[in-house]
Amino acid sequence: MTDTGATWHELFANLGIFRDAILAGGLAGALLGFLGVHVVLRRMVFASSAIAQAAALGVALSFWLPALIDPLGHAAGHAAGPGGHVIPSPLFQPVLWAIAASLLATLVFIANPVRLHLTRESMLGFVFLASGAGAVIIGDRITQDAHDLTAILFGSAVVVQPSDLYWVGAAAVILLGGHLALWRALLFVGYDPLGAEVQGMPVRALNGFLFVSVGLAVALCTRALGALPVFAFSVLPAMTALALTSRIGLGFALATAFGAFSGVAGFAVSFRAELPVGATETGMAVALLTAALVWRSVAARRDLRRARQSASQTTAMTGGTHA
Amino acid sequence: MSRPLSSAARTSSSLATPPADRRLPAGESLLDVRALTVGYDGIAILPALTLTVRAGELWAVIGPNGAGKSTFVRTALGLGRPVEGIIERRPGLRLAYVPQQSALDAIFPISVLDFVLMGLQGTGNVLLANLGEHLGRARAALSEVGVEALERRQLRDLSGGQRQRVLMARALATDADLVFLDEPTAALDAAAEQEVLGLIERLRQRRGAAVVMVTHLVEDGLERADHALLLDRDHRVALAATATAMRSAPEFEHIYARFVGRADRQREGERP
Repeated sequence: MTDTGATWHELFANLGIFRDAILAGGLAGALLGFLGVHVVLRRMVFASSAIAQAAALGVALSFWLPALIDPLGHAAGHAAGPGGHVIPSPLFQPVLWAIAASLLATLVFIANPVRLHLTRESMLGFVFLASGAGAVIIGDRITQDAHDLTAILFGSAVVVQPSDLYWVGAAAVILLGGHLALWRALLFVGYDPLGAEVQGMPVRALNGFLFVSVGLAVALCTRALGALPVFAFSVLPAMTALALTSRIGLGFALATAFGAFSGVAGFAVSFRAELPVGATETGMAVALLTAALVWRSVAARRDLRRARQSASQTTAMTGGTHA
Repeated sequence: MSRPLSSAARTSSSLATPPADRRLPAGESLLDVRALTVGYDGIAILPALTLTVRAGELWAVIGPNGAGKSTFVRTALGLGRPVEGIIERRPGLRLAYVPQQSALDAIFPISVLDFVLMGLQGTGNVLLANLGEHLGRARAALSEVGVEALERRQLRDLSGGQRQRVLMARALATDADLVFLDEPTAALDAAAEQEVLGLIERLRQRRGAAVVMVTHLVEDGLERADHALLLDRDHRVALAATATAMRSAPEFEHIYARFVGRADRQREGERP
């Protein structure tokens, strides 16, 4: 490994450079890991993927539109050197476009397309494909920012901007705080929406909070980390936790921890082995889930064997009594 | 109409023996339905219906599959808009809805205790403040239906009969004045079916709640209920009557007579 990859010592020696990326990975993993339990239990896994793609399209638009409006100024900015990406107005901040596009995609998820004789899933497929195709096409038009866009789409960004870390940190604190306060209410509404509505729970408002918070979290984390790890963090840690425990509270705690671990450890391994960051973070989450599934499978077989032994012992004892 | 029950009175009392001032006076009007037509997108699927559900009453909602029973229940619960007509609830009325077991998610990991705690959330207590106090109420409800030992088990891992008892425990914990039950005996064996019907009776007798029960057990339903509501979308029937009057109603005979007669004959045959 040493001739092709960096050493752990180098990682610690350069921690100042990579600190923001590691923190962003950990915070995004924790936030999306927690929200992911709702995402998985409510069977809206594809929603986070579609929202992440929409966020990537939003960022791509924020790169492309300034170049379209002022091509000469934009080119001059890039000619000035690295980091010369010109933002002609605060309105073209990539994070704002990521949020706007994500919330738009979230609206599609909230809307009920039954009147169009379509399912919600199919509408999400539409959002995913339209956003994915749009981002790739726009990426082809903006050669100067293509590297940034690739980083966002596939999560290969090694360094995270401080502003992105602040956004992700603020989202993690505010959204996790809100979700902890509404935890039982969101569970009730997710598990038994009719019963919740009958008992006077504000079902629409709670669902709106959940969907908007998922949209915001996905948008901000996509801007910082890229679409691939964001989708992974919003699904895989929750699956891992739910495979390991049936206790719902513990499940949320484990998913948060697994998400954070995947973000931090994934970055460290990608540095050590010189692998793409987002894919390695995703791979870390996949490894945790695979280990959990193997453990679950072994535990299930062991439980079944014990149950059979117990049943056969009972039968033998009953038979002895009759004899 | 009498004054609504205060929330303080509701939460300070024990579950098993509600004090007299918390019980609604028998016969108190809880739900007044006048010239109600139910349907989808403004299109009526049943004729207009008028009925009054009073405290302590048991209503059986009967009708073939696809008769419009669920649509009626959803409308009465306020989950769907009536096409026409008026639904008037007693001020401060507390409603509870017990879904069909099959309507509950079979994957969702929720413990029995957490499920019953859901019954204590709602208007004025969305966040379930004072969890300690509510835990006591939830456990009392579980104890009342005899499944207190299952509180840590997962709802998805229970047998049909146990799960239905837990659903009933949540209805008890809500301290509701009017409980809607959707097919509470569906997919249960005969013994579990009788246990659940006994619990419904207890809910009514000891707590003074009114119960509206959608059921496929026409004979059992009519035997136990005071009133019945017969719905049939295909035959354009929406008939509310006392259980006794329902048996001799031409609409009932038209829809059910051959089934009822066959069941009666079977019973006769079983007698020694």
